[in-house]
Amino acid sequence: MTAPIYITGCGVVSAIGLNQKESLETLMGEHSGVGQLTYLKTEHKEFPVGEVKLSDAEMRNRLGISDNAITTRTALMGMLALDEALKQAEITPEMLPEIGFISGTTVGGMDMSEQFYLDYINNDAHKEYISVHDCGNCSEMTAKHFGDFAFVTTLSTACSSAANAIILGANMIRCGEAEIVIVGGSECITKFHLNGFNSLMILDTKPCRPFDATRNGLNLGEGAAYLVLESEKSAKKRNVKIQAVLSGYGNACDAFHQTASSPDGEGAYRAMKEALEIAGVKTTEVDYINAHGTGTPNNDVSESQAMMRLFGNNIPPASSTKPFTGHTTSASGSIEAVFCILALQNGFLPVNLNYSQAMDDGIIPVHQSTKKDLKHILCNAFGFGGNDSSLLLSKFEQK
Amino acid sequence: MTNKEIYVLSAKQISIQQPLSEEWMNNPTLYEPAFYRSIDPSFKEYVSPIEARRMGKILKRALATSKEALKASGLETVDAIVTGTGYGCIENTEFFLDALSKEGEQLLKPTYFMQSTHNTISSLIAIQTKNHGYNATYAHKGISFDSALYDAYLQFRLNKISSALVGGHDEMTETFYQILKKGGVIGFDNEICGEAAVSVVLSDKQENALCKLSGHKIIHQQGIESLKEKVAKFLQGNGKTCSDIDFILTGISGYKENDEAYMLETKALFGDRPLLKYKNLFGDSFTASGIGFYVAAQCLKSGFVPRNMFVNEKDITDKKPDNFLIFNRSDGTNYSLTLLEK
Repeated sequence: MTAPIYITGCGVVSAIGLNQKESLETLMGEHSGVGQLTYLKTEHKEFPVGEVKLSDAEMRNRLGISDNAITTRTALMGMLALDEALKQAEITPEMLPEIGFISGTTVGGMDMSEQFYLDYINNDAHKEYISVHDCGNCSEMTAKHFGDFAFVTTLSTACSSAANAIILGANMIRCGEAEIVIVGGSECITKFHLNGFNSLMILDTKPCRPFDATRNGLNLGEGAAYLVLESEKSAKKRNVKIQAVLSGYGNACDAFHQTASSPDGEGAYRAMKEALEIAGVKTTEVDYINAHGTGTPNNDVSESQAMMRLFGNNIPPASSTKPFTGHTTSASGSIEAVFCILALQNGFLPVNLNYSQAMDDGIIPVHQSTKKDLKHILCNAFGFGGNDSSLLLSKFEQK
Repeated sequence: MTNKEIYVLSAKQISIQQPLSEEWMNNPTLYEPAFYRSIDPSFKEYVSPIEARRMGKILKRALATSKEALKASGLETVDAIVTGTGYGCIENTEFFLDALSKEGEQLLKPTYFMQSTHNTISSLIAIQTKNHGYNATYAHKGISFDSALYDAYLQFRLNKISSALVGGHDEMTETFYQILKKGGVIGFDNEICGEAAVSVVLSDKQENALCKLSGHKIIHQQGIESLKEKVAKFLQGNGKTCSDIDFILTGISGYKENDEAYMLETKALFGDRPLLKYKNLFGDSFTASGIGFYVAAQCLKSGFVPRNMFVNEKDITDKKPDNFLIFNRSDGTNYSLTLLEK
């Protein structure tokens, strides 16, 4: 058992809403945000995607950023989410010099690089976008919009990037390196990874169906989410409302394959187990698992096996929210962590949309809307290369 | 929280100096300012030819430095693998981006995409060494290696790990060099631009250690006064005053704007403490600070500082170093302080 890490603010942007309120309504109303491709310029119109329903220009407008400014979609979505998180946690600009910011992303500014790559090689057009290609730049750009943080860095572990950003932030607080660290991730859909995933043949041309016998791949999504992690001491001193508790977290490597998960889910099993162990929470106390559940044949078998190994015959209710948002890749760890916090606060199990028939060797996900008082939720995020992480989010209860 | 010591058991590099060797200390290869790719060793020992064909240089080098560092450390396994990389697997990213831009979206093969994400490096090391432990990757400009080191450093302090393999890896292709030069990111006048692959093994066991890692901190730019305060606090936290520091290892590189900022800030922060440099030998890269770490560790182990590392002639000494403070300044936006001691 270790000192609790409080979550005092959240912000979330995805295909199902531009803030927590919209996300909650859509989750409870069971409406998917996945649909026909609108904003990304690609030949692959056959794939449904979960896009954030704003153009870059509309986002800049909302954020009060000039249309001539050099921005990337990943950074813009990040700013929208960070703005909400800062407001909820009552963090003002003058507090930022004491606060850390850790963001996860993998595509960084690739949305611009893939548009202008031939210009970069052949002429000077759009050369001002070259310096925003890298992942670190996205975090800096996002942070800078709000002020001067004490610390800024970037996790890049593919689809578990945001979850690992949360873990670093928690370790910083536990070491006494900061009282408040804002953590999460952001990622826009790019032609680069849409085509990459397509070349790996893991995209479904129909809406994704995690843990279903007919599942045939994932739908890409995009978005951003940040959580304000805070020490008990600081939260009490500021008398800020505590939204939830980060009571455990685990990171392990599947060490199996660069783009596939092991049949026995070794990495996933270890990550979930570690998250429970550091929290001192028993497997029987877990009320819900927000699965990584991408809808690829491989992930869902591997993750199911990991759950069966850890929970035996008593697997808690589990579901994947990816049919709502698409797979938001690097941001999924924090977006889904915010969904878990909404579930804790509002007492419901998010439904695994598009489920109809049980898969072999797999779990049966939550497929009917269920009101339930929840205390502990495991939230999984797994990345390429077997970068598996799991977070244990718990309801805050006044002692 | 524990106060257990952290030791650097081994440090290996592949760069524009002789690979996997400390030859540079006595007999460095000297370069004129320009872009150079690293001198590669034979990779046969570290990766099969079939696998090697699909791998970018960054992956082969990471495997070689990691495996050599693990071997030299005497540890069979480590609790954590943490990597920093500014730009990640550029070679494979370039191949995929090039095909996407020139051939369109219909005929793309997955080969290059599969090994294009930044975390390919850490996970490849884990796959090859069958390591299920903690695994993470940082990609944040000139503090990518420092962030990886910071992650491991925190976990030692929390007693979550007792050993770690920390790496700093960046490759640079000719195409990306030209692009990034055009974008004003790298390739400055009078500066050597290189590539870097560094792997270090950290442990709480002292046996055969190169040196001790006493402190590490990353600071985001908030002005010189704030920096002064944070540096003072860092030294104090490590039981040191400025005059206890033997050498400040800087990122002075030959590029005027960078060097002037270093001179100005080190003067304000450390007074007249002797300044050292390493980018004149190894060139600059996003993970050059990893090279700095390697250089400091090797100097502490061997008990001398090569003369061509001194910034000012007046400071040249044969004194055996007891400690190094690595002062890394990344574009004036991010800073890191790393204290290594004998």
